[in-house]
Amino acid sequence: MKSTSSLLVFVPALFLLVACGGGGGGSGATQPPAPPPVAGPPPPDPVTISTEEAFRFLNQSTFGATLNEAERVKELGFEEWIEDQKLRPASLQLPHLLSLPPPQNAGQFQAERINIALQNVIAGPDQLRQRVAFALSQIMVVSQFSALNNRPYGLADYYDVLVRNAFGNYRTLLEEVTLHPAMGEFLSMLGNRKPDPENNIRPDENYAREALQLFSVGLVELNPDGSLVLDTAGQAVPTFGQDVIEGFAHVYTGWHFAGARDFLRARPTIENQTQPMQLYADFHDEGEKRLLGGEVIAAGQGGEADLAQALDNIFNHPNVAPFITYRLIQRLVTSNPTPGYVGRISSIFDDNGEGVRGDLGAVVTAILLDPEARASEPDETAGKLKEPILRYTQLFRAYDARSQSGRWPFVNAHAAIGQGILQAPSVFNFFSPFFAPPGEIESRGLVAPELQIATEFLNTTITNVFYVQAFARNSENLADLGEDDVYIEISDEMAVADDVGALITLVADKLLAGELSSTLESGIRQVLAQTSEAQRELRVAETIYQITASPEYALQR
Amino acid sequence: MNRRRFLSSSAAALAASPLMLPSMPSRAAFGDYKALVCIFLFGGNDGWNLLVPRSGAEYDSYASSRRNMAITQDDLLPIDPLTTDGREYGLHPSLTDIRDLFAAGEAALTVNVGPLIEPVTKDQYKQKSVTLPPQLFSHNDQQSQWHTLKGVGSPVTGWAGRLTDVLENQTVAQSIPSGASLSGTTRFLIGAQSQPYVMGAQGPMAFTGFGASGLALERAQAFQSVIEAGSDNLYAQAFADVQQRALANVDLINAALERGPGLNTTFQVDPLSQQLRTVAQLIAVRDELQMERQVFFVGLGGFDTHDAQVELQPALFATLNNAISAFYSATVELGVSDRVTTFTQSDFGRTLTSNGDGTDHAWGGVQLMVGGSVVGRELYGDYPILEIGSDLDVGGGRLIPTTSADQYAATLATWAGATAQDLATITPHLVNFQTQNLGFMV
Repeated sequence: MKSTSSLLVFVPALFLLVACGGGGGGSGATQPPAPPPVAGPPPPDPVTISTEEAFRFLNQSTFGATLNEAERVKELGFEEWIEDQKLRPASLQLPHLLSLPPPQNAGQFQAERINIALQNVIAGPDQLRQRVAFALSQIMVVSQFSALNNRPYGLADYYDVLVRNAFGNYRTLLEEVTLHPAMGEFLSMLGNRKPDPENNIRPDENYAREALQLFSVGLVELNPDGSLVLDTAGQAVPTFGQDVIEGFAHVYTGWHFAGARDFLRARPTIENQTQPMQLYADFHDEGEKRLLGGEVIAAGQGGEADLAQALDNIFNHPNVAPFITYRLIQRLVTSNPTPGYVGRISSIFDDNGEGVRGDLGAVVTAILLDPEARASEPDETAGKLKEPILRYTQLFRAYDARSQSGRWPFVNAHAAIGQGILQAPSVFNFFSPFFAPPGEIESRGLVAPELQIATEFLNTTITNVFYVQAFARNSENLADLGEDDVYIEISDEMAVADDVGALITLVADKLLAGELSSTLESGIRQVLAQTSEAQRELRVAETIYQITASPEYALQR
Repeated sequence: MNRRRFLSSSAAALAASPLMLPSMPSRAAFGDYKALVCIFLFGGNDGWNLLVPRSGAEYDSYASSRRNMAITQDDLLPIDPLTTDGREYGLHPSLTDIRDLFAAGEAALTVNVGPLIEPVTKDQYKQKSVTLPPQLFSHNDQQSQWHTLKGVGSPVTGWAGRLTDVLENQTVAQSIPSGASLSGTTRFLIGAQSQPYVMGAQGPMAFTGFGASGLALERAQAFQSVIEAGSDNLYAQAFADVQQRALANVDLINAALERGPGLNTTFQVDPLSQQLRTVAQLIAVRDELQMERQVFFVGLGGFDTHDAQVELQPALFATLNNAISAFYSATVELGVSDRVTTFTQSDFGRTLTSNGDGTDHAWGGVQLMVGGSVVGRELYGDYPILEIGSDLDVGGGRLIPTTSADQYAATLATWAGATAQDLATITPHLVNFQTQNLGFMV
């Protein structure tokens, strides 16, 4: 099965020569050196990017395409737009929380965390970084719905770790995630101690298992293109057994909140919620520990060396590239990347072209520039359903939304739309990467993760959120709105609302790059035919509502 | 409208799938009502603290295995099963109402039950000489085993989905699907033809701004025309399909609920109680909706007690106790206590050993069954000696189940109306076990 990999690695090298004009092309670690740039085709002429193409790109790389940003993409081209984004400073959450007086009770501060999180993802200039961090937050999951409800600083800082490392190295990210006290509390590595055989106490296996299963290698061996390695009986091959879980569980002993006199006295403070966990050596197990692939940690090398060796062991497992690649592609571009697409990006993960493994910035660039992401005629399996938050933020970005107070305290997003930032029901995220709804998607062996939370109930609640937004929370109703109510700016629409055709065109341009189906257009016309020219606000609201409620808006092409 | 859709989709499935033919034509209408209510305890419930041996030697084994996870002997709520294995047992101190329901013969427990493909001994486990459910101790994989009983296959349909597939061949004019989830998407209820309806804890959510006249009607019609037009993209089409199901069911159910009787039984405000209250309200309007067979799925999270188990478990079990007790009372109030059977499922049981302040993922566990048709005041299956290193311990106090999830499901499915022939598809591994029916349902 693995013999296909060399072919897969060869293809992306060729592609990058085209896409990058010969510079910086990545090839797999096992490949001979790339041919000199002169061997490649001449640099391509500047490509003309249509508004539709720019929207498709921006819906993969930001919290929602806007006409202004589409113009920028057309001007810069995809690649330069990405490079420009990478240079932008990170919009962080923790500095905002620290700028406020500490709350009476920590739970109150979740509203502040949500407020700054939404400000950053909707209005932050570092859109690509925010979008990648959001993707990472759904792979290396922590959730407010746990002991962390009382740790708003910790949650904000955890998200900042993802934001800062969005274009960094996966190995660094894995270590920062592992040692973050928010993760420590969420998956109980914090306070995990060496065995106490007299009391039948053995190390906690929670982080050991989930970090392997969900954050890095997964349960079964993968080929570089993401397909399963099969044994001679045609069965998937497990990547680890219980012995390896126990090995890692022993590695992760002795860590607790930083700054205490000793392990047993470690307690959370505002400060140590955001500091890496500290090793308390006398609670670390010093025995041998079994890792992936038969590697064994020698006894007595100490907790920090154990951790470094264990994280290197994970990082160097061949599954990590296809595992992380597949999930990032699913979050950014499409539910069902071809094996070729996964394989091309895996090879970049394995080696960014400069001999570096785990370069997430290079991986993100390659994901977005891949021919499969940029195909001009996407087929019926291309794209994905937009996640609820992205359906919501795209409207807000397109309509310059804000509240009169400037705040975004959408604390119950998880309930109202089924998804909120760091609000997953468990470490298994809002949905599984493998979820397939019954019907054609499943029978064709495809998946559609977002459909897992697109239930009759949640689809309706989101549709109703759009109803309220369109009809009540708009710039014509300021007097009736609370100061924290987020409203959309509809003055452009009001100006053309006497002309039904112009109104529909304007809204369709802002939300769909003008690609409106004839059914949706005639549906809107039917409704607007019942209104008079004087009912401008009603017309605007009906149009925005019908479009945001439609399957074509829910689809990320 | 919904019924029509179901008839046409099952007719299409029938034409496409000759496998469905044998069990279909001869089935007579039920003419009565039965409902199964699955309470899924997300995270893997620690059954060894739900039902605990009380008698001397067995309690000592328990206490010595569990150490700081053990419940004090005197705190256990004694129960008195009609059939005894010679040992004494007690329930967790939070389960006072369950104790009373047990004593009244309305509740029973299945012990050391879990996903199995065939019976397994410790030697066979170590030598890998039998087929095991893949990825034991993994949450999502073992949840999926309980939902689907798939064994080594792909999780296409759930066991309750396959059950509703056959039951819906015998129902006459049900207005809504037999399967309803109040706890999100679940493969448990997805069948080859049957598709559950997913509602919220408080019931279905109506679309705002839709109405029967004027602009509200135009708006609803435009919305409907768009979702009915379909899409050439698979994800947009699947999304539109969900919207269509939402639209087709919501007004029907809400109208029935509005006309339904109020419940006198009071429920607590926790999420499980609220879901079960809604289930009771839906059962109350079963005739209005012409329902004959229903399977409800509700859930409660928080059972993955790696941390602070001693602090968290009493509240988890108290919630379970209060919710089940109120729901049972509601079925009595509605006169359907023998028509409704509530049962638990959970990812897996937990380790006997402690990780310091909690327990980790294991295998066999304990499940509860409640209702007037449950042959109550009994324990089903063999309660193991809770000893580290025993013949059932595959390490750390992870116990091999001695009763299979297939046997448990088959017993429930048979009560709901599945035939022995149906069980071959509903519970595919049942044939590998001697006892085809655990006997806890009449």
